[in-house]
Amino acid sequence: MATDVKGWASKFKSLTDSDPTIAAMGKYYTCTFMYDMTDRKVIVEMHDGKVKNINTDPGPLDAYDFALRASAQTWREFAQPVPRPMFHGIWAASFREDLKLEGNLLVLMQNLRNFTVQFELLRKSGVPV
Amino acid sequence: MARHSPVTGRYVTIEVDGLEYKVFYLHNGTGTPLVCQHTAGCHNHQWRGLLEDEEITKNYNVIAYDLARHGKSDPPLNVEWWKSEYKLTAEHYVNFIVKFCDALELRDPIFMGSSFGGNVALQLALHRPDRFKAVIPVEAADYAPGFFLDWWRHPHANAAQVCASGVWDLMAPQSPDRDRWLTWHYYTQGAEVFKGDLYFYSVDHDLRRQLADIDGKRCPVVMMTGSYDYLTPPEATENTARQIKNGVYIEMTDIGHFPMSENYPLFRVYLKEALRIIRERTGD
Repeated sequence: MATDVKGWASKFKSLTDSDPTIAAMGKYYTCTFMYDMTDRKVIVEMHDGKVKNINTDPGPLDAYDFALRASAQTWREFAQPVPRPMFHGIWAASFREDLKLEGNLLVLMQNLRNFTVQFELLRKSGVPV
Repeated sequence: MARHSPVTGRYVTIEVDGLEYKVFYLHNGTGTPLVCQHTAGCHNHQWRGLLEDEEITKNYNVIAYDLARHGKSDPPLNVEWWKSEYKLTAEHYVNFIVKFCDALELRDPIFMGSSFGGNVALQLALHRPDRFKAVIPVEAADYAPGFFLDWWRHPHANAAQVCASGVWDLMAPQSPDRDRWLTWHYYTQGAEVFKGDLYFYSVDHDLRRQLADIDGKRCPVVMMTGSYDYLTPPEATENTARQIKNGVYIEMTDIGHFPMSENYPLFRVYLKEALRIIRERTGD
C-alpha cells in the first residue's frame, strides 16, 4: 500500500497516462476532482485524458469541480486488487457505503466513462492512506 | 462454410392497450418455452450465451424479445410517441408480455427477467399465475427505489456514456473484461428509454404489501441475485423471496446485476439449478 503521497501521485499519473482504455477516448477528458480520503486529500487535474497535475497538499481555497469523500478505510477497500462487494465502484459505495459525491456532479457525468476507468486504476496504484 | 448461429430472429406484431408494436425476438431450442426479458435500457443480446447453450436449448425453447422501444422493437407505430415522455407502468409491461406470449401461442412458458425484467417477473407471478408455469426473477426485489434519475438523459452530458458507465459497477470485477465491455456497449444504445424503464423499476413497481398474495405453489418463484449487485443487494432479494409462499432464493457469488450478460458461464450454473427446482416443483 502506497503511503508516500508523492510516490503515489507519480504512480497514479503514470498508470493513467499509459492506460489504453482512457487513451482510446481521452480527448476532452478535462476536469478537476478531489479524492477526499479523510486522513488525506488530493486534487487531480485532468487535461485531454492525461494527468496535468496532482495537488497532494491542497489548501482551503484550491478549486475543483467535484469531490469523492469517504473514510480512509473505504479508500483502502477501493484499492484492493479485487474489491469486496459494495466497494467495487463509486455508485456501489455511494448507494451502500459511506462514499459521498459532492460538488458539480454534471462534470462527473460528462466524464463518467473515463473517470470510472481511471478510478479503477487505484486497484493497481493503491491509495496513500 | 458460413459459421451460422442456430439462433434466428423474427418479428411479430401485437396490440397492447391500444398500442401497436412490431416486436423483434430471438429464439433457439425446443421444449418448454423459456421467455427472457433483458434489463432496462438494453436489448435481447444480453441473452446471447443462453440462446446458444446447447445443453439448455435441447430441452427449452429459449425466446428473448426486445421490449418495445428497445433494440429492434420500435416504439408504437400508431401514435405520435415522440410527443409525450416515456414512463413504463407495471400494468402495461405485464400486458405486453402476456400479449407477446399469446401471439406466439406459448403454452405454460417459464418467464425469466433480470433487474426490471426480474421485477416484472414478480408482477406476473402476482397478476397472471394462470399464464406462466413459473418465473425466475433475477436481480429483483419487491421494491427498488433510487434509480429513476435525470442523469440518464441529461442534455448536457453524453447520455450514452452516462448510462453505460453508470451501470458499470453493477457488474462484478471478476466478470471477464470482454463481456463487461459488451454489456457497456449495449448500454450505450438505449439511453433514450433507460429513464422511462426505470420509472417502472424504481417508482411504479412496489409490491411491499402484496408479496403474501403471490402463490409460489401455483406459479413457482425462484429468485437469484449476484453478490455484487448494489442496486438490489442479496439481502433485498432474500427478504422478498422469504415473504412469498414457497419462494426460493439463490445467491450467486462473484457476479453482479447483469449475470447472463457479464458472465454467462457462471450464471448458467445457477440457472440450471433454478430450472431443476422448477421441474421438481411442477412435476416435469
